[in-house]
Amino acid sequence: MITETRRANVATPRRFVRLDQAGRWLRRRSVREALTFYLFISPWGLGLLCLTLFPFAMGVLISFTNYDGISPINLVKFTGFANYARALDDRLALQTFSRTVGFSLWLVPLLLIASMGLALLLQQGVKGLGAFRAVFYLPTLFPVVTTALIWLTITNKNAGLLNAAISLVRPGTAINWLGEYALLVLTLLMVWSGAGQGMVVFLAGLQGISRELKEAAMIDGASSWQVFRCVTLPLLTSVIFFQLLVSLIAALQIFVQTVLLTPGTGGGAQYGLGRVPKPSIYMYMNYVMVQILGFQRFGYGTALLWLFFVALVLVALVMYKTGGYWVYYEVEQD
Amino acid sequence: MRAIRRITLYTILVALALVFLAPSFGLVISSLKTQSEFRTSPRILPAELQWENYDLVFRLAPFWRYARNSVVIAIISIVLNTFSSSLVAFGFARLRAPGKTVLFMLVVSMLLMPSTAMVIPQFILYTRLRLVNTYWPWALAGAAGSAWHIFLFRQFFLTMPKDLEDAAEVDGCGWFRIFWQIFLPNSLPVVATSCIFQFAWAWSDYVWPSLYLSMDSMNLAGAVGGAFVWVDPTGASLEMVRMAAALLYLAPMLIIFFLGQKYIVENVVTTGIKG
Repeated sequence: MITETRRANVATPRRFVRLDQAGRWLRRRSVREALTFYLFISPWGLGLLCLTLFPFAMGVLISFTNYDGISPINLVKFTGFANYARALDDRLALQTFSRTVGFSLWLVPLLLIASMGLALLLQQGVKGLGAFRAVFYLPTLFPVVTTALIWLTITNKNAGLLNAAISLVRPGTAINWLGEYALLVLTLLMVWSGAGQGMVVFLAGLQGISRELKEAAMIDGASSWQVFRCVTLPLLTSVIFFQLLVSLIAALQIFVQTVLLTPGTGGGAQYGLGRVPKPSIYMYMNYVMVQILGFQRFGYGTALLWLFFVALVLVALVMYKTGGYWVYYEVEQD
Repeated sequence: MRAIRRITLYTILVALALVFLAPSFGLVISSLKTQSEFRTSPRILPAELQWENYDLVFRLAPFWRYARNSVVIAIISIVLNTFSSSLVAFGFARLRAPGKTVLFMLVVSMLLMPSTAMVIPQFILYTRLRLVNTYWPWALAGAAGSAWHIFLFRQFFLTMPKDLEDAAEVDGCGWFRIFWQIFLPNSLPVVATSCIFQFAWAWSDYVWPSLYLSMDSMNLAGAVGGAFVWVDPTGASLEMVRMAAALLYLAPMLIIFFLGQKYIVENVVTTGIKG
C-alpha cells in the first residue's frame, strides 16, 4: 500500500499532480455549486456592471466636463468642479428645488391621508367591497400619458368637465385651471392616480391587525376613535413609514407628469422630456432634463443630477434612521 | 344610530367612487365629441356621439405600427426579464456560494435606487453605442433582470421544499434542469405576477420611448403622449381623436389586469413592509 503510493508520486510529474488536484477541486460539490451560483446570477451581475455601474461612473465623470452629448470625445474638456460651483449658485436650480420640496411636503401627507382614509372606510365591512376597491384602484393602472391627457381635458377652461360641473351650480364658470392653478391640478392628478396603490397596501396592513386586540380594547370601554388612535394607528406605523418613504422619494423626482401637463410645442415625443413646464409646476428634475435634453448641457445637467441624487439618498437615510423612534415592528428587526 | 352610521358610510363611499370615476368618464365622453364641442362647448355631454373619432385614430396616423412597436417592446421586456430574474433568483434562493449575502444586499440596494438617477447616464451610454431607434435598450435591460422581480422570485423559491431538488438531483438533474423543469413550472403564480407587472411597465412607460425612439419607430405611449400626431388637414391637433387613441391604448392594460388579477400573488403589495 505504502510503496504503491510512493511509486505513484514518483511516476507522476508535478504539473499533472496539480492538474489532478484542480480537477478534484472542481469536482467538489461545494465548488461546483458556487460556480453554478455565479453563472446563474451572471445576467444580473453583468447588467449591474455594464448598465448601471459603468454608466453611473461615466455620468459622474461627465459632470466634471463640458460634454455636450454630440462632440467627439477628444474635444471634451475637464472643467473640475466648475459645474458644481455653478449649480450651487444657480437661482433657477434653487427655485425649482425648493418648489419640488414644497410640493412633495404637501403631496405626501395628502396621499397618505387619502389612501389610509379609503382603506379605513373599506375596512368597515362594506357590501360590494370588491367593486369599491376596483374603482379606487383603477386610476393606478392608467399609463401616465393617459392620466395626464385626462386631467388636461377635464381642467380645460372652455369645455372641461370640471368647469362644466361647477357651472351647474354657478353658471358660466370658466376657470383657467392649468393657467392659474396648475399646482392644484398636478396635486389632484397625483392623488387620484396614486391613492389606490396606497389603499391596497393599507388594506393589507389592516388585515394583519388581529380582531382580538380591537375587541379587547372595546370591552375595556374604548370608543372607536380611541381604538383607532391607540391600537390601529400604532400597529400601522410600519405601513405608514413605508408609504411615506416611497411616496416622498417618488414625489421629489416628479417630472413626466409636469411635462405632459404642458401641452406640447413641436411634434413627436422625442426630447419632449426636455420641455419647460408651466412655471408653477416647473420641478427640479424638469430643470435637469431641460439642461441636458433641451440645451445639450450634459456636463452641467449631470452635476445637477448628482447633487440631487445625494440629497435623495440623504433624505432616505435620515428617514430610515429616525424611523426607529416612532415605527413599531411586531417582529424584531434583523 | 347604527343605521345612520351605515347610511353615512355608504353615502361617503358612493360619492368618493363617483369622484374617482369622473375623470375617466371625462376621457370617454371627450373622445366622442366633435372638435368644436371639445374646444368651446361648456356642455358635459356631446350633442351626438361621434364614433367616427375612433375610425380617425387609424386613418390619420399609423396606429397599428405604434401598437406593433408597443407589443414587441412588451414581449421582449417580459420574456427576457422574467427569465433572467427567475434564474438569478434561483441562484440566490437555492445555491450556496461565498459572497452571496453581500451580492444580495446589492440587489436590495438597487431596489432603493432613485429611479430617475440612471435615466440620463443610460441614455448617454445607449446613444454612444448607437442603439437609438432599436429595441436593444429594452432587450438589454430585460436580460439583466430587475431587482424587484428577483426579490419576488427569490421569496417564492425560498419557500419550496428542499426534498424537491434532492429528489431531482438523485435522478441526475443538473441545476439548470432543476430550475427550468421543477422550480419554474411550480411557481406559475409568481411568473404570472412578474409578467403582468413587467407588461405594465413596458406598456405605460413614457420616458424610454421618448428618449430612444423617433417618430417613425414610435410606440403607443410616445404617440399618445406627443402632441400633433392626430391632426386635421390644417395641421391643428385633433384632441378628441387623441383621446380615442388614448382609450384604445389603455384597453389592453385593463384587460390584462382584469384577466390576470386572480393570479397576482397576494403578498406583492406588501413586499418590503415587513423586515
